[in-house]
Amino acid sequence: MMHLLRCKTPTAVRVLDLALPLAAIEDLADYAACEVFVFKSDQLLGKVHIDNLYQNLSAHRLSDAIAEQLFLLLAADATGQGHDRQEDLLSAVVPALATGPASAKLPDDVTVSVVVATFDRPEQLRGCLHCLRSQISPRLVEIVVVDNHPASGLTAPIVAEFPGIVLVNEPRQGLAYARNAGFVNSRGSILIATDDDVTMPPDWIERLVVPFSRPEVGAVTGNVLPLELESEAQCLFEAYGGLGRGFGPVEADTKWFTRSKRHAAPTWKLGATANAAFRATMVQDPRIGLMDEALGPGMPSGVGEDTYLFYKIIKAGFTLVYVPTAFVWHTHRKDMAALRRQIYNYSKGHVSYHLTTLLRDGDWRVIHHLLWDLPKAYLNRIKRRLRGRSVYPVRLILLEIRGNLAGPYCLWLSRRRVRREGKSEFPPSPGRIECPATETNRTSGNSHGRAPADPAI
Amino acid sequence: MTRKIKVLDIEIGHPLQDLTGLDGYHTLRALVRLHGSPVGYINLPIDNGRCCAASLRAAIRHQHANALLKVEVRHRLQASPAAPEQPQSGAADQSTVQLEANRSPRVTVAVCTRNRTNQLVDCLDSIRELDYENLEVLVIDNAPSTDDTRKVVQSSFPEFRYVCEPRPGLDWARNRAITEASGEIIAYTDDDCMVDPAWARVLARVFFDDPAVMAITGLVAPYELETEAQLLFERNGGFGRGFRRHWFRLDPSTSGDWPMNIGAGRFGTGANMAYRRIVFLAIGGFDPALDVGTPTNGGGDLEMFFRVLQEGYTLVYEPDAIVWHKHRRSLKDLQAQITNNGIGLYSYFMRSAIAYPDLRWTILRFGWWWIWFWSLRRLLKSVFVRPLIPRALMVAELKGSLLGLIRYGKSKRNQQEIERRFAAVGLPVVDAGIEPTATRRTNEENR
Repeated sequence: MMHLLRCKTPTAVRVLDLALPLAAIEDLADYAACEVFVFKSDQLLGKVHIDNLYQNLSAHRLSDAIAEQLFLLLAADATGQGHDRQEDLLSAVVPALATGPASAKLPDDVTVSVVVATFDRPEQLRGCLHCLRSQISPRLVEIVVVDNHPASGLTAPIVAEFPGIVLVNEPRQGLAYARNAGFVNSRGSILIATDDDVTMPPDWIERLVVPFSRPEVGAVTGNVLPLELESEAQCLFEAYGGLGRGFGPVEADTKWFTRSKRHAAPTWKLGATANAAFRATMVQDPRIGLMDEALGPGMPSGVGEDTYLFYKIIKAGFTLVYVPTAFVWHTHRKDMAALRRQIYNYSKGHVSYHLTTLLRDGDWRVIHHLLWDLPKAYLNRIKRRLRGRSVYPVRLILLEIRGNLAGPYCLWLSRRRVRREGKSEFPPSPGRIECPATETNRTSGNSHGRAPADPAI
Repeated sequence: MTRKIKVLDIEIGHPLQDLTGLDGYHTLRALVRLHGSPVGYINLPIDNGRCCAASLRAAIRHQHANALLKVEVRHRLQASPAAPEQPQSGAADQSTVQLEANRSPRVTVAVCTRNRTNQLVDCLDSIRELDYENLEVLVIDNAPSTDDTRKVVQSSFPEFRYVCEPRPGLDWARNRAITEASGEIIAYTDDDCMVDPAWARVLARVFFDDPAVMAITGLVAPYELETEAQLLFERNGGFGRGFRRHWFRLDPSTSGDWPMNIGAGRFGTGANMAYRRIVFLAIGGFDPALDVGTPTNGGGDLEMFFRVLQEGYTLVYEPDAIVWHKHRRSLKDLQAQITNNGIGLYSYFMRSAIAYPDLRWTILRFGWWWIWFWSLRRLLKSVFVRPLIPRALMVAELKGSLLGLIRYGKSKRNQQEIERRFAAVGLPVVDAGIEPTATRRTNEENR
């Protein structure tokens, strides 16, 4: 079928009944195009357009065109049960692709390390560690706490309350530094990253690691729900978008990544490291590596270290799966000043992340995103607010824009700081401190269960 | 370090199974097929030499849902109401009988080869597996320097016909196949290819279903991706032309527009093409001054696609007709081939500009655009963005394109020399169609 001409004249109009055997249309020698209205026993199904260019249409070509243009209708018709979702249709039509009831399970001998980065928030850290110790999991679970401000001495006493938890000190400030220190000092084959200001249900780890039973899955993210919406700042943060990414599963693979040549792949919609798991081989892969230290909270650039790691994982050909059922509860900032700071940081980080993909990976879609998509989105949001369709105030939108404008400069500052302080490296730095009472983190049936020591985690 | 890719062929009419024993490979590239029709590729990482069925299933569902439904619907449309129609009149009755007799037209498979017996054996083995009855196989040995091909064919493949074509040049061999063939359909493949068992059946069915179709090209998939060079060849465009059927035909009502048949590479390649034999009577055979074995080193297949369309006939791209091609394994061979692609393409442009004077300006414009689009633009881009293929290959192709501008004349003189040398032997000659009616016949014929 050639799509050279916009409008072909003359065009023949023919009808075709699928209840009868498919026969060639033999009288089209004078017509450049043909519109075939497809019926099935008096019921009109749809229309097929064929640029036949003065040729008769063989049954073979007709069937190809009908399948090409009306496949959803006809597949639904063939299965007969009113399947409206493409997923169900596929299972009904191609038996080999029907997903079995028992989804694959990750073997119990796969070990997990949970890396909690913290910065002088002892009370919240205690609650988080308590939840982590209550995880119900048949596998070995190692908990690694990274203290990003060891000088304050606030974190070490809390960690000492929980025997068997590994404490790693990372004096270089920055969440990416902290997480990297946690990753290189972890021994599990799956690395889960989370924050000190979250709590989670006891089945969180098991729900999060399920997709790793498929070898192409390199990273899994989960949902982040607000623990409380007491103050105005917390409500506004949810209106900003919050940290959750919806209640439907998402899979991002190479095809998703290269879907558009113009629009940047929306990796920032895939979740965050407040609730994310990685295969340990990902950060060891030379194409992916550890998190980019120049991005992330604690750096001038704000955020983006997690997004950029997702970007590299998907770019390397692995799949990222978002599991909405594996959720954590996050305590949003309570006061307005903290919220403004956070939103400002997020906006800086958004631009920093994009510039990083441009500089490091040569992704030119960034230009279109920053100069076209992003301003357009701001205009739309302001318009929505002015029409009363949104509760998100214009002054916060302006704050975001200011953050975006500061992004390039902050990225430069951050990169300079990383050059000065050095990058995270793989041979474990001597930061790892084993707590003296090496009771293990192997958790079992009861919510607080602790089993005997197992140093081979 | 090269990352080896395992190429597989998965039919999902059967239940999917875990794939094991893929040690040493980094990625799996599987051609997914339903009822034999290719749907698309999936790429999956290989973990410890295996790839589980759940991953395959997820990848196929996620990436090819629509294509699968299309294939399934098409299959049901073609299969279900198979009951033959009631003959309405005596005349119709007669034509039905005649059609029944032609339902499996005779197909001649022509393999042109030269001194590559080890590859040829694999090719002929795969041809032996074809599930089509009314078949003739010709092995055309082109100006051989040894006797090996004849020995191999006569000892191991006695049911295939061996023909020696002493005039050097692939298109001499292809033309020889036209004169030797007993079939009304000639299907060409190369000696470095393996054909799919259904290949000949699919080609015959398309020709039978659609009497207006004069040429068919099919899907050429990589047989293996073991070396860097093979991977680069795929990255540089490869031979695959997608998974959708296309009926190509010049639109006689748009004579002003840029004709779509000049960039003939989009239709396919000589490793997988088939023609009705009568089309050669109308438009002449392949041009012996083109393609491998002559200074032009390629382009004979492209020129024929161009000419079939230019003369107003229909060419179909049929992805169900699959041929697996063994790409060059070494980087040196790859570079030579890429250079030759450029030479062949521009030799074909030269030849067509000579044969169709009224298209000269268009061909010139297209030739310039292609150099810009394919070589110069990519080279320029490679300065800013890390390119997918080494710059040396782009330069090789650019060099080939420029060389192609001068090679055709030289090749033509060689051809005349060859004709003189072999004039006494009395070998069959097919009109090369170098001077066809220069006006666009399509206009008057089809309106």
